[in-house]
Amino acid sequence: MEDTLLSLAHGFGIAFQPGNLWYAFIGCLVGTLVGVLPGIGPLSGISILLPVTFGLNATEAVIMLAGIYYGSQYGGSTTSILMRIPGEASSVMTCIDGNAMAKKGRAGAALCIAAVGSFTAGTFGILMLTLIAPPLAAIALKFGPPEYTALLIMGLIFLAYMSSTSLVRTLLMACLGLMLGMIGIDNMTGHFRYSFDFAELGDGIGIVPVAVGLFGLGEILATPSHKVRGEVITPKYRELLPTRAEWRAAYWPIARGSVLGFVIGIIPGSAHIISSFLSYALERRISKNPEEFGKGAVAGVAGPESANNSASTGAFVPMLSLGIPTGPITAVLIGALMIHGVPAGPQLVTEHRDLFWGFVASMYVGNLMLLLLNLPLVGLFVSVLRIPYGYLYPLIIMFCIVGVYEVNHSIVDVWIMLIMGMLGYALRKFDFDPAPLVLGLVIAPIFEQSLRQSLIMSNGNYLIFFNRPFSAALMAICIVLLGLSALAYFLKRKDWRAKLAAAEAGEPGA
Amino acid sequence: MNPPSPAKRITLRADHIAGAFFVAAGLAVIALSGDLPTGQLSMPGAGFLPEIVAVLIIVLGASLFLRAHESPAFASIAWDDGPHAGKVILVTAAAIVLYVKLGFIVTMVLMLMTLLTVIERKNVPRALLYSVAVAGGIYVIFVYVLRSPLPTGILGHW
Repeated sequence: MEDTLLSLAHGFGIAFQPGNLWYAFIGCLVGTLVGVLPGIGPLSGISILLPVTFGLNATEAVIMLAGIYYGSQYGGSTTSILMRIPGEASSVMTCIDGNAMAKKGRAGAALCIAAVGSFTAGTFGILMLTLIAPPLAAIALKFGPPEYTALLIMGLIFLAYMSSTSLVRTLLMACLGLMLGMIGIDNMTGHFRYSFDFAELGDGIGIVPVAVGLFGLGEILATPSHKVRGEVITPKYRELLPTRAEWRAAYWPIARGSVLGFVIGIIPGSAHIISSFLSYALERRISKNPEEFGKGAVAGVAGPESANNSASTGAFVPMLSLGIPTGPITAVLIGALMIHGVPAGPQLVTEHRDLFWGFVASMYVGNLMLLLLNLPLVGLFVSVLRIPYGYLYPLIIMFCIVGVYEVNHSIVDVWIMLIMGMLGYALRKFDFDPAPLVLGLVIAPIFEQSLRQSLIMSNGNYLIFFNRPFSAALMAICIVLLGLSALAYFLKRKDWRAKLAAAEAGEPGA
Repeated sequence: MNPPSPAKRITLRADHIAGAFFVAAGLAVIALSGDLPTGQLSMPGAGFLPEIVAVLIIVLGASLFLRAHESPAFASIAWDDGPHAGKVILVTAAAIVLYVKLGFIVTMVLMLMTLLTVIERKNVPRALLYSVAVAGGIYVIFVYVLRSPLPTGILGHW
């Protein structure tokens, strides 16, 4: 514990360096804008701005990119409350009661509760990250290839189980991602795989063109400008502070959302989205006045907003300590670290202490910055919301092209981005979530290498995954999850995921 | 035996198309993996995991196809945004073709102008002003602030 506190103090020394403070601020500001603007989410925002970090050192880069991620969770609430359009997928639930509060003249109070809830939950999440990540990394150092293989299989199955679309759809997307991740030279034998004589494909398909295509361009293709309309409710500054009764109604939902969000954040899947849905459902269920939900209940804003922020911090635990992405955003952040020559995982905590602790400390600072940034600058964000989407999306396409090209100065990457954009558009039409595809792409090299090494170690015996205690435990969890899914399918019972999907679709009684 | 009534005719569902696509994709991967050695279990080769994943894609795709009755009818999928998406794809593809040849500024001004005036029907002088200001601003930020070079194309270095 003492060692953790000393390391954290050292981290604050790094986080307070002027350069790091500046990039944390830029990340938080850009992240808030990314969250505010409909049609551009944190994943495309981070991917597009990844090349901007090439001139920075690894610590500055990861501080800025992470700032975009957790900043977008703050910003998403502004659009939800003032326009009833989720600026970001995890803010869908905030639309319901946040906008209802705004219509009752309590827009300022809703924004303040969302910001304070986000700050509290974000800080709680970082505190837990500080305490959990280092010991987890120490355990992970003892992992061999079988444990890593089992961990990655469990990650994929957890992702499929947690997904609000079906298990089959999620696994299909993950498999497609794994397939794309195997394009290029095989690291163990040097064989070229599926590169069709394109020299650029020898190094494989990068995560940036895929992520920007699927989530940036794909979103634009599926969103014609005439469909993006919305009236912005302008909050009055003197109404920015909630009343005493509103504060009282927000305390416990913020506390519950913080804990729930962090726990879900550690588990693979689109944690920040799922956590806000579950928090909303939980608050409605335990409320003494459930009939107020949908009509401007404070708990309907405080709970989900806290949960999605805590979840976005929780997602950093497996990313930093195990090197395992829990979702596409942490996958891109791992890619960013790799571009800067820093491996994510236990070595990050032990061998790159400055980066790890500087990053953790910067998140405390970034959360405070976001609280100070979001409330006084709400007028600025409202004016950003008034920019017509017809002017905005051509700008985003320009950033997509520049962002992807700048990574390797490769026009082939930009073509891949366009193809992925078309694929993303088609996947949306057929109700597939492209997030597991990105996850599959990122874990493909680690998964393949650890699987093949495990088989070589055991002379081809698959039982190696069941003979070692830790991998056996992970495989047992996989079997239980698959069993639960099969049970729900054969009993034709609506499990919690089906109910979540129904709630997402706005079906009554869900 | 009576012929099936019109009501019992099989409706083409979204997952019939999606499932068939994934089965075909899996088969294509297996066909393309011909030269890759799969090796043995004790020494897996370069084709080992791709073949496992391809088989998984086929199995999952077939499962999707067989359970397609749970999905919406293919005809019910709204494609009303298709023409807009098609135009955006064409303009983006043209910009990619021209990007290195004409350079960042010229290509981006052309792309923004086309999107704003042809697709969005915006006022031409305003669109031109917006396109030049945005492309010029981003060029300055990337090249002079971030020191990240952008293609200059026909304008040369300046």
